[in-house]
Amino acid sequence: MDIRFLAYIQWDYNCLYIKIEMEVNGTLIWYYTICKREAWLIGHRIVPDQKDNRIMIGRHIHKYFFSREKAKEVLIDNTIKVDLVKGRCLIVEIKKSSKFIDSTRWQLLFYLYYLKHKKGVVMEGEISIPDEKKRVLVRLSEESEKEIERMIGEIEELLKQEKPPKPEWIKYCKVCGYKEMCWV
Amino acid sequence: MSKVLYVFQSGRLKRKDNSLILITKEGENKSIPVATVSDINIFGEIVINKRLLEFLTKNEICLHFFNRKGWYVGSYYPRRSLNSGLITLKQAEAYLDNKKRVYLAKKFIEGAYRNILKNLEYHYRQTGNEEIGNSIKNINQSFSKVFETNDIPTLMSIEGDIRKEYYSTFGLFLKQEGFEIERREKRPPSNPMNALISFGNSLLYASVLSEIYRTYLDPRIGYLHQTNQRSFSLNLDIAEVFKPVIVDRTIFQIINRKEININDFHEIGDGVFMKESGNKKFIQRYEEKMQSVIKHKKLGNVSYRRLIRLECYKLYKFFTEDEEYNPFVVEW
Repeated sequence: MDIRFLAYIQWDYNCLYIKIEMEVNGTLIWYYTICKREAWLIGHRIVPDQKDNRIMIGRHIHKYFFSREKAKEVLIDNTIKVDLVKGRCLIVEIKKSSKFIDSTRWQLLFYLYYLKHKKGVVMEGEISIPDEKKRVLVRLSEESEKEIERMIGEIEELLKQEKPPKPEWIKYCKVCGYKEMCWV
Repeated sequence: MSKVLYVFQSGRLKRKDNSLILITKEGENKSIPVATVSDINIFGEIVINKRLLEFLTKNEICLHFFNRKGWYVGSYYPRRSLNSGLITLKQAEAYLDNKKRVYLAKKFIEGAYRNILKNLEYHYRQTGNEEIGNSIKNINQSFSKVFETNDIPTLMSIEGDIRKEYYSTFGLFLKQEGFEIERREKRPPSNPMNALISFGNSLLYASVLSEIYRTYLDPRIGYLHQTNQRSFSLNLDIAEVFKPVIVDRTIFQIINRKEININDFHEIGDGVFMKESGNKKFIQRYEEKMQSVIKHKKLGNVSYRRLIRLECYKLYKFFTEDEEYNPFVVEW
C-alpha cells in the first residue's frame, strides 16, 4: 500500500483524537542513542535553548530544504515523521552531516519497524546527506528488530522516571543546546 | 548577538514587512532589523498597534514601558511559546510546600547578602574606613538571624535591615558630593541617590522578566516576595541576587567616574527623578555591564545577562531534580 495514502487517512483520525501521552517516536530514538538525559528532557517537552546558534542554523536548513527541494514530510499516526518517500517502498531521512550516522540508522530502523508491525508494510530506508553527496541504504534484520524492541522498552522505562538521569560529560556536550541546563 | 532596544524618542513604532520601523515625531524613519532586538524598553511617547504586537509575539520580544519619571509602568508579555506542565506544577508545588518556599526565600537573601558583602569588602579594602568595617559586622549579625526563623515576613524584614545598613555606607566611599543617602525611599525618591537606585532596580526587574520569558518558569510565582499581590514576583526574587552586582556596581562606577552629576536630576512633584540625560548615561553603562562577560567554570565566557538565565536553569534543576539551589555569587 502507498504510504502517502496511509498518512492521509490517519490525518483525519489525528484531528479528532489528539494523543496526549508521549509515545516513543523516531526523534526520541535518535536522542536516546546519543544521550539518555537529553531523551528524558525532550520526552518531557523541555526543549533546548531555541536561540542557540546551532539550533537556529539547523532549523533554517530544515526550512530551506523542505521549501525548495522536492522533499515533503509525511506524518504517520502522530508518531513518525518521514522526511521523504521515494516510490512505493523507500523512505528517506535527510541529515545535515554524517556525524550522527549511527543514531540516524537506528531512527530509520525504528520507522521501518513501526511500518512493518503497525501498518503491515515492509519498506527500505535510506539516509541521505546532501551536503556530503552520501546515501546509505538501511534494511531491517532480525537482530535490529530485536534491538529496536529493546530500545523502545528502555525508553518507556526512562520516561517513567520522575527525574532525568544525572548529566555525564560526553564529547557532544560542548555543542549541545542543553549544555547550560545540564552544567550550570 | 541581539540587543535591548531603548526608545527615548516619541513617535510611532511599526512593523514594516519583516522588520521594525520607528517613525519619529520629526519625521525621521529608522529601520531596526528584528533579529537584532531581544527586548524593547520604551521611555518616549510611542504609538503602537496590534499588528506590531502580533509581530513581536511571533518573534518573542517583550515590550517594557517606563513613564517620564523613569518608573516601570508595565510590560507586554507575549504569549509563551515555551510551556511545560511539569515545571509549572513543580514550581507551584515548591510554593505550597512551606519547607521548600522558605528554603528558596532564604537562598535568595543569602545571594543578595553575599554579593552585598563582596561590594563592601572591596570598598573597605580600598578606603580602610572603619565605619564600613562596622557595617560589615552589623550586616553579618543581621544575616545570622536568617537561620532562626521560618517566617517569610520576618525574612523580608531581615533583608530590609541588611539593605538599610548597606545603603547607609554609600556616602563613605563615593567620590562625588551630593549622593549620600540616609534612608532608602522609594515613593517618591527624595534625593538623587534614591532616584538612581530606583531607576536601576526597575531596569533590572524588566531585564530579569525578559529572561524568565525565555524559560519555562512562571514569573507570577515568587517565593520571597508575596505571590498574588502583584502581577510578577519571581523576577523580583531573582533580581534580589543581582542588584548588588549589576545595579549597584554600575552606580558606583558612574558616580566615581563623575559621568553623572547632580545636574542630571530634577524635581517632579515632591520627589527627585533623573532627567532623560541621566537615564541615557546610566543605561549605557548598565548595558555595557550586562554584556560584559565573566569566566564560568564549565560554560566558558558568560555575560551578566546570561547569568540571569542560568539562574533560571538552576531553579529548573531545583524544581525537577531536587538539586540544591545555590545563588550566584561574584568571586571578586
